Amino acid sequence: MNQTLDRRRLLATAALGGVVGATGLGSLAPEAAFAAEPATIDSGAPDPNFAEGRISKISGSMLLVTGSDTVLHSIRITDGTSIWKLHPTTFDKVAIGDGLYARGVRLPDGTLAADSVWLNIVNLHGHIAAVGRNVLHLDHQGRRIVAHVVPDRSAAVYNGTPAVSDLSLLRVGRHVQVLGAWHPDTNEVDIATVYAAA
Amino acid sequence: MAALRGEVSWFCCGSAWGPCGTAGGGACGTCSSGNYQHAWPNTSDACLAITRPDRCGVTGMARRGCGFRHYTTNLCNGARVGTTIADCGPQTDLFCGERTCCGSACGSNRIIDLTPAAYSAIASLSAGLRPCSVDTV
Repeated sequence: MNQTLDRRRLLATAALGGVVGATGLGSLAPEAAFAAEPATIDSGAPDPNFAEGRISKISGSMLLVTGSDTVLHSIRITDGTSIWKLHPTTFDKVAIGDGLYARGVRLPDGTLAADSVWLNIVNLHGHIAAVGRNVLHLDHQGRRIVAHVVPDRSAAVYNGTPAVSDLSLLRVGRHVQVLGAWHPDTNEVDIATVYAAA
Repeated sequence: MAALRGEVSWFCCGSAWGPCGTAGGGACGTCSSGNYQHAWPNTSDACLAITRPDRCGVTGMARRGCGFRHYTTNLCNGARVGTTIADCGPQTDLFCGERTCCGSACGSNRIIDLTPAAYSAIASLSAGLRPCSVDTV
């Protein structure tokens, strides 16, 4: 817990200082970071330490984000921020137009000092309508979604077995959950992990 | 309700970007990705007819309505979050027998879906599935 408090203080300090500086602590492993952070928000209520929306402007280390509910968010990226875009990545991969979910510490000026940012992440359920070369066509809520297999990245979990890179067991008609990254320009997705039912 | 052990994932709802843009407010009409809310497989007869946890041998899943509060614990790290029901789901029977583990901590069958705000309070969104326990206190 002390480590988390220290980390949060460092994040806030870095954010208030307006710099992307070395925290000296580095990123915590995600599972450990979430374990140490108490969830004290009222059930059913919005979480002030969470934001979602699309990036409308990047100014230095600050992301200006327009929430899907039109609320505007200022999100500060620090060296302690973990960034995910199909896989763990770096700030230079952040782009205007990206969708995001962010969690961090809300500062007194309203800025969110981000602990974690997930860019374009989607978690879709659907049925496999067709299988092509390195691509799945999904029926998702009545719409067709094209999901691309990314070599050396995409993995499949077959009914709870360990993740494997072999996606050849996926069959038309099967129900799947696809965790991946959305392409804002094409509305297609890249597959990180596909969970397949038995 | 005794603690129910199984799997937790996340889903988007309310105003959203990308493929989530058509998700809507869920069965309760109040669901929002930024709120501490969840989907529950037994919110009504109609809901249960879709989710069918009984087909996977899941028992003890009580009927709960919109706004009812559950607490979900991530068995990988012990982190816990309280959320209220805002939707029907997950569709448990589509993944019957699925098992997720962190070391020796395991959960079988999907019993709850959290909003991104709630899930990200106890796990990384990039970990799409986690073993969990769900209780009411």
